[in-house]
Amino acid sequence: MSALVPLPVLLPLLAAAFSLAVGHFATVQRVLNLLVLSGIVVVAALLLARADGSGPVVLQLGGYAPPFGITLVADRLSALLLLVSISVMLAVLVFAIGQRITDQGRASTSTAFHPMYLVLSAGVSLAYLTGDLFNLFVAFEVMLSASYVLIARRTNAERVRPSMTYVIVSLTSSLLFLTMVAVVYTATGTVNLADLAGRIALLPDGARAGLALLMAVVFGIKSAVVPLHFWLPDSYPTAPAPVTAVFAALLTKVAVYALIRTQTLLFGDATSGTFLLVVALLTMLVGALGAIAQNDLNRLLSFLLVSHIGYMVFGLGLFTEIGLSGVILYVVHHIAVQGALFLVGGLVIRHAGTPSLRHMRGLARSYPLVAVLFAIPALNLAGIPPFSGFVAKVVLLRAGAEAATPLAYVVTAAAVATSFLTLFALSKVWVGSFWGEPAPAVPDVDPTDDVTVGTGESSRPMLAATGGLVLAGLVFAALAGPLSGVSERAAHDLLDQGPYRAAVLGEARAAP
Amino acid sequence: MLIAIAAHFAVAAMLPLAARRCGRAAFAIGALVPAGSLALALTYLPGVLRGTPHGESVHWAERIGLLFTVRLDALAMLMTLLVTGVGAVVLCYFGRYADRDEPGHGRQAGLMVAFAGAMLGLVLADDVLSLYVYWEITTIASFLLVGGAGRDEESRRSAKQALVVTVFGGLALLLGLIVLAVAAGTFRLSGILADPPDGAAVTAAVALLLVGVATKSAQVPFHPWLPAAMVAPTPVSAYLHAAAMVKAGVYLAARLAPAFADRPVFWVPLVVLGLWTMVLGGFRALRQHDLKLLLAFGTVSQLGFLLVLVAVGTYTAALAGAAMLLAHGLFKSTLFLTAGAVDKGTGTRDIRELSGLGRQWPQLATLAGLAAASMAGLPPLLGFVGKEAALKAFLHATPKDVAVLCGITAGSVFTVAYTLRFLVGAFGTRPGAAPSRAKPPGAVFTAAIAVPALAGLVVGPGVGWLAPLAAGYAEALPGAHDYHLALWHGLTPPLLLSVLVLATGYAVYRAGRAVAVVSGRVPEPLRAQRGYDTAVSGLIRLAHGGTGRIQTGSLPVYLAVILLTVVAAPGTMLLLRGLPAIEAPWSRSWLQLPLAAIVLAAAGAVLRARRRLTAVLLTGMIGYGVGGLFLVRGAIDLALAQFLVETLTLVVFVLVLRRLPPPFARPGRERTGGQARSGQPALRRAEWRKALVAALGGTFVAVLATAYSAGRERLPPASAWYVDNAKPEAGATNVVNAILVDFRALDTIGEITVLLVAATGAASLALGAGRARRRTMPRPGRDERTEVRR
Repeated sequence: MSALVPLPVLLPLLAAAFSLAVGHFATVQRVLNLLVLSGIVVVAALLLARADGSGPVVLQLGGYAPPFGITLVADRLSALLLLVSISVMLAVLVFAIGQRITDQGRASTSTAFHPMYLVLSAGVSLAYLTGDLFNLFVAFEVMLSASYVLIARRTNAERVRPSMTYVIVSLTSSLLFLTMVAVVYTATGTVNLADLAGRIALLPDGARAGLALLMAVVFGIKSAVVPLHFWLPDSYPTAPAPVTAVFAALLTKVAVYALIRTQTLLFGDATSGTFLLVVALLTMLVGALGAIAQNDLNRLLSFLLVSHIGYMVFGLGLFTEIGLSGVILYVVHHIAVQGALFLVGGLVIRHAGTPSLRHMRGLARSYPLVAVLFAIPALNLAGIPPFSGFVAKVVLLRAGAEAATPLAYVVTAAAVATSFLTLFALSKVWVGSFWGEPAPAVPDVDPTDDVTVGTGESSRPMLAATGGLVLAGLVFAALAGPLSGVSERAAHDLLDQGPYRAAVLGEARAAP
Repeated sequence: MLIAIAAHFAVAAMLPLAARRCGRAAFAIGALVPAGSLALALTYLPGVLRGTPHGESVHWAERIGLLFTVRLDALAMLMTLLVTGVGAVVLCYFGRYADRDEPGHGRQAGLMVAFAGAMLGLVLADDVLSLYVYWEITTIASFLLVGGAGRDEESRRSAKQALVVTVFGGLALLLGLIVLAVAAGTFRLSGILADPPDGAAVTAAVALLLVGVATKSAQVPFHPWLPAAMVAPTPVSAYLHAAAMVKAGVYLAARLAPAFADRPVFWVPLVVLGLWTMVLGGFRALRQHDLKLLLAFGTVSQLGFLLVLVAVGTYTAALAGAAMLLAHGLFKSTLFLTAGAVDKGTGTRDIRELSGLGRQWPQLATLAGLAAASMAGLPPLLGFVGKEAALKAFLHATPKDVAVLCGITAGSVFTVAYTLRFLVGAFGTRPGAAPSRAKPPGAVFTAAIAVPALAGLVVGPGVGWLAPLAAGYAEALPGAHDYHLALWHGLTPPLLLSVLVLATGYAVYRAGRAVAVVSGRVPEPLRAQRGYDTAVSGLIRLAHGGTGRIQTGSLPVYLAVILLTVVAAPGTMLLLRGLPAIEAPWSRSWLQLPLAAIVLAAAGAVLRARRRLTAVLLTGMIGYGVGGLFLVRGAIDLALAQFLVETLTLVVFVLVLRRLPPPFARPGRERTGGQARSGQPALRRAEWRKALVAALGGTFVAVLATAYSAGRERLPPASAWYVDNAKPEAGATNVVNAILVDFRALDTIGEITVLLVAATGAASLALGAGRARRRTMPRPGRDERTEVRR
């Protein structure tokens, strides 16, 4: 079983190389990409079943004992997130292929897209699976480098700036990440996460707390928490719909995963709890208020993305089992719903010919299907029952109420307020753009621009992919029972640390 | 009963399809579901009357506290009768009301049935989360039904207001319910009520619940959404905004009263707001010319009345509350359906235009008269029974009861007055006005209106049937059990009070014009609608102002904030919890000092460099300097790798630089154009600020690195292991190579990937630029449209 662990990383890397080589055969690239991602979904499902059944699946690369080599670990949390993430990537890929074929015909090739998409998936997978802090840095690098290409591809004069913002902020965060790894190594002499867990505990209190906060800030940049979020709403909206969807669904969540993993495994107790709760409070409210102020559909969704990262940080900041369980449910829910919303956003923009909410009217009448596809994830994001967002939100609110500290109550109230603001922002879109007399589509200003295609056409694969993600919100809600079981066990693992460390280091060395 | 609730949603989902085939008949199909549910509920009636509630539960996600539960007790039975009965009647009526040619029957019918299901679930739910689930479904259904196709501005605005206000309350309710359930240790409503928890958190939770109650049941200051929602089709208003949805708040208050009515945080706000709302709603109704708006303000008023009755938490008041709950549902739906029939028949609902309808439609006028009599509290109708009981409940000499009695008496006077205004307005003959031309209402309308109207007439004298149900609920409340619901109690003080109310009400109606003038003089700032508008625009202003100020779009600002956070967050923690002591010597070799100086000087010089080549060479100098530092510390392998990489990079850079113009494009020069000089000081200040932030960040990282490495004396175990095993395990004499290609090969694979990706990206950018240029040129053989599409 442990032989499966590296597949989600190596398979797409090999496929990416091949895909680059056969860049002139569009169909080969597409089929290969679909096959590889489907394969990873299967592998992830197997890993999840195994990790949930009999503990973390561990592979020591090269057979070197930890901490000397690199360890890959698939435990409940990483396998679950891997499964959900790659499934969403698969859906977005179907959308992207559909869009490409609709706009430019079956034969049109796009040399870079498919290889980069595969590299991105490899980076995401590695980030989830690695049990090594430096390797996590490498995973981020792989993921981000692919994302630079995807966001800057086919850019035009208008979009160079947002791409630059994205690239430079990401590079800065990488630099800080590397610095952080160096500091960790210098303080402890190891970068293996399981090993670090034991060694960081030996550091003096102040040093531990400083490291915890340093890590929180470093991962906070890529998670886009306030006040480190500015780059996100400035850069995401300008990319083509599938790219934005996959960025919004995954990249921030990978950073959130890293945040969860390091804060729980390495520091365990609530060293950074207060800090995280305050950050969560700010993130939720600033993001949601930002969304209300937007007149561009994609920017509005980007601010909501920021806002809802706050929910995840909130649950983490509580450092309780139920809080973490809520975070896991929320991450799973949010990956699907945010992907769905950005894909629908893409469909809406194709129909309206513009992302500007001021120029959209009466979409519900002209495109009822798109309206339904928008309404469900919009309600879901706002946490209106009976969708997955509601389930996850309830667990988080419950965690806040159970923590019963003044700060926890305040943040819980802020979470509820954020739900309200989210619905307020989305109802503005619905009332303003979906209701009313249909307006003619804005003519395509720049035919070379992939973002505002404005063709009014959406093919069956695009609708199916979007519908699939929309449906996922309903399926998660229906499966709330088993899903909350897994997330609760995963949360227990996170707080316990024992099983993870024992699986990586062996029983004897893991003992404190 | 869960199956009945589920049936509602299943049928609702299918109705849009059914409507395509059979048009308006979809409403009649939908009506079967609440009707069937009513029949099913009645089978449990004997058990409920015996005091054994019927219970069901199905797990959804039990660990979270999510389950679907049913607890059919006396109060739930009362609400079920109302919700399903009125639901079936209104759906039948809707089938006739909807225009045959108008699209969207399926949507409306589906939403109505889904709403009926949610409402049924709400009154039956025994756990807080599914209660909230149903609560929000009713909100969304109301939003979509009020907005309709959202074609005119008014319906969009009204729908949004209804949504914003009720969701606001709904979320407060959710938070309150969760805090309450966590404090009680159970998510079962019956469990919480059986053993209500205490504490500050619970008090806050109850206050939050009341926000939900007040918004849903349109209490001051949230009430304006309800009159605004009258833009919805009349059957929707009759069902959602009179008989069912707005009762959800009253129902919840009634449900909570047995456990919380003795706490001031529960009853004080409800009684105060309820009385205020009752008087204000009645007062405002006297000014309305639109029949529906008149009724809507009447509903607001009556909801206030109901809340007062259920919130005070005495036996008699609860009896009165139960009777009024049913009575209001019956008479208000009758009157709304009548208003709809008038609207359909004459094309107007304005009482200034209607005249002589009573003579043309005697049957309808009689039925409406019955309902109106019930509303005004005339015997022998159910409304009279309820009002008698209500007056009786407060006929005590305590200050609280006297105050409440004055309030509900005043409210009832207005009720009588606006009832007359409605009746005369709709059916009276105005002197000098031509009789309205009206199409006959038709059998379906008359039948649908007759059912609730006659029910009110029958249950009045036959209140004995209702009494056990009302008593079954009221039993849980304190107070003497010496009163029972009955039509005739003798010549009692409540009866005399009723007569007084009727007489005064008639006088107020006669003085209507004066009242209308007065009620129009509510100062603008005190109007609740204005409050809503101010709150919403304030929220939007806050959002725009705040976001505009922090989301500046300036990359240097973003980077500065990131760096400052990196310094501030861990820095504060280190200062608070104690910095690791720095005990390391200043230098281990004198060579370190000049090397460090070279690195620092080169780094500073890079920033000042004007030419690309200079910058590249200086960067190389930094690299070599760092390599030198490695060398000094004895890391020969590392130094070798560093020198190699630096040299390679330099060579590549120089090769590339040959094709680029030598100087950098300087910021500021092209931006300020000709007035470069005037832009200089601001630019320089910005430069200084950037330099300061950068220096701060750099210093902090240096301190951090020094502090954290200070605690360590020997090589870490990993380094020692790498040195020992490089040769035997990896066959390499150079440790760095062994680590890169063997021990940590996966890192290297990743980094190579990054390199290749960067190359691909650069190529794609370079090629893409060329492609974009080619693409803008029209290709022959394609028409205009395809060209645009690409």
